[in-house]
Amino acid sequence: MPAAPTGVPLPESFSPDRISGRWLRFSNLRGVRWRINLRIFPSSSSTSIDEIRRVAANARRSYAGLRRQLLIDPHAPKDGNRSPDLAMDNPLSQNPESTWGRFFRNAELEKAVDQDLSRLYPQDDHYFHTYACQAMLRRILLVWCIRHPECGYRQGMHELLAPLIYVLHVDLNYLSQVRGLHEKYFNDEFDRSDCEVVSNRTLKKVKSWDCGSKFTNFVDDLDPDTRDVLLLSDPYGAEGELGIVLSEKFMEHDAYCMFDGLMNGADGVVAMNQFFYTIPSIGSSTGVPPVIEASSAIYHLLSIVDASLHSHLVELGVEPQYFALRWLRVLFGREFSLIDLLVIWDEMFFSLNDSCAANDEYEYRIMCSPRGAFILAMAVSMLLHVRSSLLATENATSCLKRLLNYPKKVSVEKIIEKARSCQILALEANMLGSSQTGLMMNSSSAVSRTGSQSPKSPIRIMPDSYWEEKWRVLHKEKVIQDGDLNNGGKVCGLFETLRTEPNPSPSKNINKKKEAHSIAKHSLFDDLSQNVESVSDDVRSISTCQGSPSLDENVRNCFSEFMGEECPSAENFSVLTINTGPNNEGNDPEIESEKSSLTSNSFIRENEDDNGNIDEECNKAYDPVSKKLESCANVESGQHLDAEMKVVTEAKVRKSASSRFQWLWRIGNGSFHERKMEKGIIAGTQQPSIIGNEDVGHEKYVSSSSDYSWHGDSAKVEDGDKRMWGTLKKLGQSVLENVQVIESVLQQEPGKDGDILGGDGQSAAMAALKDLRKISIILSEM
Amino acid sequence: MVLVLALGDLHIPHRAPDLPAKFMSMLVPGKIQHILCTGNLCIKEIYDYLKGLCPDLHVTRGEYDEDVHYPETKTLTIGQFKLGLCHGHQVIPWGDLDSLAMLQRQLDVDILVTGHTHQFKAYKHEGGVVINPGSATGAFSSITYDVNPSFVLMDIDGLRVVVYVYELVDGEVKVDKIDFKKTAAPQPAP
Repeated sequence: MPAAPTGVPLPESFSPDRISGRWLRFSNLRGVRWRINLRIFPSSSSTSIDEIRRVAANARRSYAGLRRQLLIDPHAPKDGNRSPDLAMDNPLSQNPESTWGRFFRNAELEKAVDQDLSRLYPQDDHYFHTYACQAMLRRILLVWCIRHPECGYRQGMHELLAPLIYVLHVDLNYLSQVRGLHEKYFNDEFDRSDCEVVSNRTLKKVKSWDCGSKFTNFVDDLDPDTRDVLLLSDPYGAEGELGIVLSEKFMEHDAYCMFDGLMNGADGVVAMNQFFYTIPSIGSSTGVPPVIEASSAIYHLLSIVDASLHSHLVELGVEPQYFALRWLRVLFGREFSLIDLLVIWDEMFFSLNDSCAANDEYEYRIMCSPRGAFILAMAVSMLLHVRSSLLATENATSCLKRLLNYPKKVSVEKIIEKARSCQILALEANMLGSSQTGLMMNSSSAVSRTGSQSPKSPIRIMPDSYWEEKWRVLHKEKVIQDGDLNNGGKVCGLFETLRTEPNPSPSKNINKKKEAHSIAKHSLFDDLSQNVESVSDDVRSISTCQGSPSLDENVRNCFSEFMGEECPSAENFSVLTINTGPNNEGNDPEIESEKSSLTSNSFIRENEDDNGNIDEECNKAYDPVSKKLESCANVESGQHLDAEMKVVTEAKVRKSASSRFQWLWRIGNGSFHERKMEKGIIAGTQQPSIIGNEDVGHEKYVSSSSDYSWHGDSAKVEDGDKRMWGTLKKLGQSVLENVQVIESVLQQEPGKDGDILGGDGQSAAMAALKDLRKISIILSEM
Repeated sequence: MVLVLALGDLHIPHRAPDLPAKFMSMLVPGKIQHILCTGNLCIKEIYDYLKGLCPDLHVTRGEYDEDVHYPETKTLTIGQFKLGLCHGHQVIPWGDLDSLAMLQRQLDVDILVTGHTHQFKAYKHEGGVVINPGSATGAFSSITYDVNPSFVLMDIDGLRVVVYVYELVDGEVKVDKIDFKKTAAPQPAP
């Protein structure tokens, strides 16, 4: 005998349910349990058997009255001497009020019902196709449909009713089993035909009767389960015979009550009759019939749980109601065998039907109650179960074929388990949808309590690691795509898209990024300066997405690929661009990004044959230091800026490129010496060896200056951003520090760079450094 | 719960153009399971119309019928009852109960439906029922004055038959009801 849960002394039996393991009352009597869950019986755990009996008896009385009233026999003699008005009550009467009129209408209804009943559960016909059962089903459906003329009879209602009758039937079987085991408690025998007039037992009986309570002495030594069965079927209990809860005679009445409760939803959220309507319900927010709304709720939940499957189905054009209509209207009765279905309905009825939404703001009405959420979750779980075969199909027909012929051999427990977790997600999502952050807190705590994982919510901001991963995936695709690395535009395109990475748009998927790539490619061909800026910006954005060594590796791979022929330089630069330091370190990231920007820009420069840009290059060349500063400044600012800022700055930059160049040209003293200085700086970063190619250095120099100009302007543009100013000031300081380091290194290692660093180089470097200082001062003033 | 319509003597197009409108509105398809027509339709169009009301149509030959292939008499069994159908001009004197009873015994039916007199009659007679539905159109008859359009609807339910009589009196449909119960059939001798 299972031990009852500790703490509360339970008068009635609570035993663990066979399948779900929960502590339930009447776990062996599904009919009684379902009636409790459907709110037909009082549902508190302390209800006595007597109360249950009374409720059952009342329900039965009402059904009997309804049946008598509604299932008319026109031949039935009228009460009293009231002679019927024959003009109204003849069979051909056109009067809709006449009994014959109602009779004919019911006859039509009956015809529709019969059509369905004949096709009910052909594989289980030993029970369902007996005459008695069919007659019972017919009467129940007729009475309900006559009571609810706005709904009428729809195909599928019989399949909701059939399992209800079946569980009552199973309960009766159980009762007869128990009766067989404990016969003496059930029988009412006082006349014994054998010679034993006075036996111990009869003495005992007489004695107990004298005490007044016939049963209690016997009943005490039974286990609670059997005791419950006994009390539920005692003909001498509350309400007498009408109160026998497990009764064959009143099976029809009980089934009607259960069916009514299921269809009306018992003032809860999920009312099955709504699924049979074809017009939108009154409180509907979407203006479509409830079953269509529920079908789209399934897809909504699926998009939260498994976005790829959802997008795949949507792409194929598989509308949810094609398969969900059948699933919802008969609550999966067609997809599973009867035994499995009973387990599913156990779980479904265990979830309460009360509305969780505090207000009226919800997206899908069905998600407001745990039961509705379970139904949706069950559907999603079923979809996930056949996920692989769905994803493998390429047209809608085979998808639907798979879904409409759901596989027979499935592990129902697993599907239910998954459905339970999806149910929690659904409830959470519904609460999010109602835009109550307080509820979100509650839901998240609920999630933690139940121990299931909460998924990424599309509304919450993505952590950085998410974006890194996205970048990585994106980059791999792009690398594959960009076979022709000589095309500088592609490089720009890559960087452009990489730049757009930090934009927090969770709905973006890889496909969209691919599109962005191609679009970026085309657009960036137009304006080289813009390209350069974008590239530099992208590089900076890459550097801002720091923290993981894998990222750096990607950056390195990226650059190494793009460098192409510039192998040595590429290696150097890739080495240079590897950022081992964390985000917060001021010096290294700036230098690294600066270098990477230089690298990229140089690469673009090499591939660009546009003469018109040479002037700009010269301008840029005049102010390498400033540009370097700018790049550093931008790096650091980029670290602090959120992505939106960056996007804004980028957009503005593109518009006013040339003006900035001129402005910066005035500031700086451009010369080729500065190129050398740059190389010196490169050496000064204490990275192994350097570029050998002067041209490359020049290019990088130019590009860095262009970066700088752009960023200076952008900094100007963003006047309102005080944070930017603060960061720029910090940048200036750090640049100063960098410059100091460079100077020291230059002084220490004059001969390391071979032909690059000579006396001229040194002096140029010093001049450049001075310029750097000036710019840093400007920056700090800004 | 079988509804059987009994009518006859329409005499369309010779003596009447059509059924009365009120009768037409009442006679809709789908409610009636059998139609017994005593005869004198007279043309095929009426036959088709009645066939449209109910596919199970039984007609016996009246003297003015244009289709000469209808039988003189007909018998059929509906539920527990045996019904007989004849136009009635063959039974002389026309409308005489004893002669009709002779025909009933001859046909060995519980319910005998005849017409020709254009007058509604319903007799309970010797354990059987003789019904005359009258003329559905109220056509002229040489033996009856002031013919009112009438027809009969029988509701056969087990051993009980309820006869509803619909008569058009002064433009209004009057309904009357007569109950007949059949005694249980005697056990066959061992």
